[in-house]
Amino acid sequence: MTKLHFENVRRRFGRLSVLQGVSGTVLPGEALLVTGPNGSGKSTLLRCLAGILAPDGGRIDYQEDERALDLAERRLRIGYVAPDLAFYSELTVAENLQFFARLRRVSPERGFEVLDRLALPTDRMVGTLSSGMRQRLRWGWALLHRPRLLLLDEPFQNLDAPGEEGTRALLHEHLEQTPGGLAVIANPASLEIDRVTARIDLGR
Amino acid sequence: MSPLASTWAAEVAAVFAKEWRCELRTKVALNTLGLFAVTTLVVASVSLGPLGVSKAQGSALLPVLLWLILLFSVAAGLPRAFVQEEESQTATALRLSATPSALFCGKLLYSLTLVVALEALITPIYVTIMNLQVARPGLLVTALAAGGYGLAAGSTLVAAIIAQARSKGTLFSVLSFPILLPLLILVIELTRNAVLGDPAGMALAQLLLYDASVSIFGLMLFPVVWNP
Repeated sequence: MTKLHFENVRRRFGRLSVLQGVSGTVLPGEALLVTGPNGSGKSTLLRCLAGILAPDGGRIDYQEDERALDLAERRLRIGYVAPDLAFYSELTVAENLQFFARLRRVSPERGFEVLDRLALPTDRMVGTLSSGMRQRLRWGWALLHRPRLLLLDEPFQNLDAPGEEGTRALLHEHLEQTPGGLAVIANPASLEIDRVTARIDLGR
Repeated sequence: MSPLASTWAAEVAAVFAKEWRCELRTKVALNTLGLFAVTTLVVASVSLGPLGVSKAQGSALLPVLLWLILLFSVAAGLPRAFVQEEESQTATALRLSATPSALFCGKLLYSLTLVVALEALITPIYVTIMNLQVARPGLLVTALAAGGYGLAAGSTLVAAIIAQARSKGTLFSVLSFPILLPLLILVIELTRNAVLGDPAGMALAQLLLYDASVSIFGLMLFPVVWNP
């Protein structure tokens, strides 16, 4: 079974306490929605869960098949979409996907399939992509290795209506069809997503 | 080769290929290293020239000058190996995709090929312009290989350490001094031995030990400095 459980996660930046003991649990097929105004710590929480920012305190446990993954394994297993995630502007979309697929030791096919569904041309240089196209690429990159845990920070940011519809369908499929698939979604405003079973409002 | 080792090697090869593909499209490091190396080479040859120093002075002075040209050329281009990843925000995707040791080795391999290319460009011109008589060319090649590897490994290690710091330029200078100083002392001595026709002596063994130490230290330290 896949399970994400975090408890009393705390993080400060200098004197500023951004996360003050946040806890939650997500099980397969479920999504946890984290909301709150700008600066409330949504992205910080997701970066802590992804393992790219060390929390000052608390506990983060992520299990796949009843086995707790260590921090290094967790980093390589998750799918992550965030505004500060960038790719090589000197390479094409296809070259970026192929590079990361080689690092992740998987075929790039899943990434190409996602980008095809999101109508992103793979022969374009990343440096020439619009912000909405970059967001589509982030989705293709995040789903490249068929992760079970998706960490989505403002996942529909900058997307037009077809883009949002396509990525919502991908999220829905992930929660419905991926064995052990679960997600944590951070967004300033509340989102209507079918499988959200818990909410954390960091604005309170 | 075991499957684990072959996939690790594939990761190293992917990083190496990506570095060169990006470099060949932007040519930032190639231009920086090349411009700095050629400029200092021309300045040194115009100032000293083949007749500017006596043969006795030359054997003492010219190896030092050669390695200073190589050191400052490398210092002008290689510190950006990891800084570029942080500044362009590609570091997050790398952290979530690459095994740290494979990333370090891929970057090191890229730096090494740049240094070797620089040495292959600069050294024959330098030896010719300065009329430097090398009694043991084989030992000179060994010094360039071992010294070049040390420069690449030391620079990659320092580049990784400074990547997340604010004052990157200053920190590179401060950290490079203790890391690269022993290398320079040893490689200059070895180059001087090659010029004079002396045996390699302890300098070669110490240089190889330095290279091995920096590589092992880099592989152990990199995951700590790269990840939070």
